[in-house]
Amino acid sequence: MKQQYPVIGLEIHVELKTDSKMFCQCSADYFGKKPNTHVCPVCLGMPGALPVPNRQAIEWAILIGKALGCTINKISKFDRKHYFYPDLPKGYQISQYDEPFCVNGAVAIKEKTFRIHRVHLEEDTGKLIHGENKTLVDFNRSSVPLVEIVTEPDFHNSDDVRAFLEELQVIIRYLNVSDADMEKGSMRLEPNISLILNHDGSPDPELPKYKVEVKNINSFRYVKDAIEYELKRQAEILETGELPPQETRGYNETKGITYSQRSKEDAHDYRYFPEPDIPPIVFTEKQLEQIFESLPELPGEKIIRYKTQYKLRPQDAFIITRNRTTADYFEHVVHEFEKHRPVSNHEVEDIPQKVANYIINKKIPVDVSAEEFVRQALELMAPKQTDTKLLDEMIAKVVGANPKAVEDYNKGKQNSIMFLMGQVMKEMKGKADAQTVKNELIKILSK
Amino acid sequence: MSSTHTKLSKSDILHLAKLANLSISDAEISKYESQLAETIDYVENMKELDTKGVAVTSQTTDLTNIFFDDGLVNNRALTSEEAVANSKTKQNGYFKVKKIM
Amino acid sequence: MDILGKSAVELLESLKKKEFSEKELFAYFHKRIERYNSKFNAFLTLAESTDENHEGPLGGIPFAMKDNFCTKGVRTTASSKVLEHFIPPYDSTVTIRMNQSGAVLQGKTNMDAWAHGSSTETSDFGPSKNPWNTDRAPGGSSGGSAAAISAYLSPIAIGSETAGSIRQPAAWCGVVGLKPTYGRVPRYGVVAMGSSLDCPGPMTITAEDAALVLEVIAGNDSYDATSSPVPVGSYRKEMKKKRKMTIGIADEYMENISDDVKKRVDEAIEIFKKQGHTIKKVKLISPKYAISVYTIIQRAEVSSNLARYDGIRYGNDRTHFGQEAKRRIMLGAYTLSYGYYDAFYKKAQQVRTLIIEDFKRVFNEVDVIVSPTTPVTALKLGEFEKYPFFGEVMDILNEGAAVSGIPAINIPCGLDSQKLPVGLQIMGNYFDESTILNLAYQFEKETNYFDVIKKGFERYKE
Repeated sequence: MKQQYPVIGLEIHVELKTDSKMFCQCSADYFGKKPNTHVCPVCLGMPGALPVPNRQAIEWAILIGKALGCTINKISKFDRKHYFYPDLPKGYQISQYDEPFCVNGAVAIKEKTFRIHRVHLEEDTGKLIHGENKTLVDFNRSSVPLVEIVTEPDFHNSDDVRAFLEELQVIIRYLNVSDADMEKGSMRLEPNISLILNHDGSPDPELPKYKVEVKNINSFRYVKDAIEYELKRQAEILETGELPPQETRGYNETKGITYSQRSKEDAHDYRYFPEPDIPPIVFTEKQLEQIFESLPELPGEKIIRYKTQYKLRPQDAFIITRNRTTADYFEHVVHEFEKHRPVSNHEVEDIPQKVANYIINKKIPVDVSAEEFVRQALELMAPKQTDTKLLDEMIAKVVGANPKAVEDYNKGKQNSIMFLMGQVMKEMKGKADAQTVKNELIKILSK
Repeated sequence: MSSTHTKLSKSDILHLAKLANLSISDAEISKYESQLAETIDYVENMKELDTKGVAVTSQTTDLTNIFFDDGLVNNRALTSEEAVANSKTKQNGYFKVKKIM
Repeated sequence: MDILGKSAVELLESLKKKEFSEKELFAYFHKRIERYNSKFNAFLTLAESTDENHEGPLGGIPFAMKDNFCTKGVRTTASSKVLEHFIPPYDSTVTIRMNQSGAVLQGKTNMDAWAHGSSTETSDFGPSKNPWNTDRAPGGSSGGSAAAISAYLSPIAIGSETAGSIRQPAAWCGVVGLKPTYGRVPRYGVVAMGSSLDCPGPMTITAEDAALVLEVIAGNDSYDATSSPVPVGSYRKEMKKKRKMTIGIADEYMENISDDVKKRVDEAIEIFKKQGHTIKKVKLISPKYAISVYTIIQRAEVSSNLARYDGIRYGNDRTHFGQEAKRRIMLGAYTLSYGYYDAFYKKAQQVRTLIIEDFKRVFNEVDVIVSPTTPVTALKLGEFEKYPFFGEVMDILNEGAAVSGIPAINIPCGLDSQKLPVGLQIMGNYFDESTILNLAYQFEKETNYFDVIKKGFERYKE
């Protein structure tokens, strides 16, 4: 049966959180600062000013590429990409063209693998503030290091796109190289969307002869919405036998629609050429390995390890590894438990799963020390001392007050016992061991 | 260089002017048509040299990996007054341009 | 005060002996500028004098600076209307180093707009005139600096080269002009023309002054990633060793030059022989290919470097570009644009490699290569306009060193039949400024440049 087959690729920009900018030593911390106060001749594109690259930014770009499974090019360079816009002070952006730092990566999410085309480093532009009848320009953001990640068109639905982007955000935060904050603009998404209307089901169909790039999306939800809208719009055009025009479209989140920004005819001829102000970058195997040393264990690897080493349920291993601090805390607490072996009444193997539960269900706050966490956990795990005299009273009270439930139980409706248990626990104000309550209840009801 | 074989059309010139963000007059168009063609014809002499397999030179210094170590250095920093001092259109420390849609 | 024609080295000596004060020295040159500048249009902007005394290797020596070097608080135009009112908020590295050496800025000198040209006629502020004959061009693009030295309005000047812009005007005005190795002198703060080619350098009346200024301005700069960490030589000391050299002469650099120029250069070669140097015939790739490489790469870099002038942050908008800048920007856009890159830009980069390998090979055999600096002596003003491609042809003998990045110097070697200076070019190996300065110094000691420099300013005695 023929069906619609979306073909989606992604371009993601991530702003690095280096102290200084990409090509000068002005502060890269521009958010909320007074206009044009973090600038110098270099990032303002003054006559005669020259760029010198920030080593940290290069190493972090390589780290991102490595984390995304890329091959790191031993020889790379910067290039100039030319276009005119008021927020681009030099009339060109220093970027990378044919020799980016990283190529050919892949990210696995659940059963699927999404290929990474390339990861390169460039500089951010200034910021435009649009007013009533003028536009103001602030260059505090100019030349802040920006990593561009380009995927292959391996996405065929918006859910996969969202899952990938969330995973990417987690990975980048693990690397501690960017806040990857969509709202603040330190992570920006541009999906390239096209659609095969009548797909015959072959796994590797010919790609559509057009693609539509959507810009100005600032949340994961909107990227999904924008893709859904675009696919519907393109399907409508394709059904008439036309090809949607290749273009760049913006996303209007209030209206939930995309709108045309720039057509193919206006597509830029960027006139790339090697940046003559910056010598090439050549790394030895050893230098690259030194850079890789700061690569942490990534969430995907952690999930696998947590499942095998700690026997965590897959969904819990996933949740606990979404945030590196949480994952580290989890392991810290599990290790802390080592000091308390054996833990009464519990198999040692249960402990990590219990700790994960307490973290996920917020039974114990994660901002306490590991020792304190263990103390609280042991308290929660300890069998409750039950006042048997009081329990008998309360069971009698509950049984008396719920004749219907008792009758149901006696008719074999096992669920009723859970209801009655709940009622008893409530009367006991939680100060009873659940197993004991259950046993006592059954004993009385069976009489 | 009396005979040129490179031909540049009016639309070629206009396209280049657009790429270069230059406004040019009709008189300039015809002048550039011939002058650019003449220059292009001259540089075609490079074809006389065999460059098969020859590496490209984008810089003559043989330098590699010239970086600075991340960190703030303020000695080139400009105040916002200094930053906009040479601008003809400025407002409250910003540069000002015509409204961009 | 007997100042006229004193070199910087001599002026430093006089200042030390207190024959005159720094202030008197500055006033002397200032007066000469006031008297003669309208004749040559060498200076566009004059700096203010200071009362303080200056310490350092150039302590108290006034200097002229080409108007493409940013000078904090002093107007810097690159001779273009686009930057007519531009006051830089920062100094170029060369400016800083000159200031730190105690040299005192006199003013900014005229040039071809954006350094695009070989006659100073593309300046938006009028052409400079050759002090040898004011109907003639001083050459360019550092024509204002060359004229200032030639007429002794300044004892030393800073110029810049992309291909020939120091050597060619030095030749036409009969002064010493040194283009150092690319990367020897930092480019930070110099209005960029061809970024992979631009070289700041000194223009002086003696080889020793050139060495002295080079010692001040050369050396690695953390703001210029292409500046070299190779240690700066003791050029003044090195140049005084009486070395016997092997001097290469290439037919390819002796062709299509005027008879007068050929005659003077041949005589200079005879003097080198007489001094005991060995002359050796060498073969080099014809400089006509260097013209093509230079044209492609420089135009591409120009089109890119001039993209920043949008009139938003400083300066006037892009309608203020002159004809020459527009023509270069357009050609650069053409050679970089989609579909043409490989045929032009990439090919030029490959031929550039061939030229570099060619020079490296020859410098295994010889210490220096000697040739004329220019095929002809100073042309009349207005000649250039007849040939849109003329600058490249005028600089044909300079472009090999430009695209390969090797150092080269112009020194005067006599006058032609029209009583105009003829320039001799000495090219050296990478970072071997010491050797070319050494040979220039030997030639100067032997000939005093046939009194060319002296004759140059003696007509402006008053």
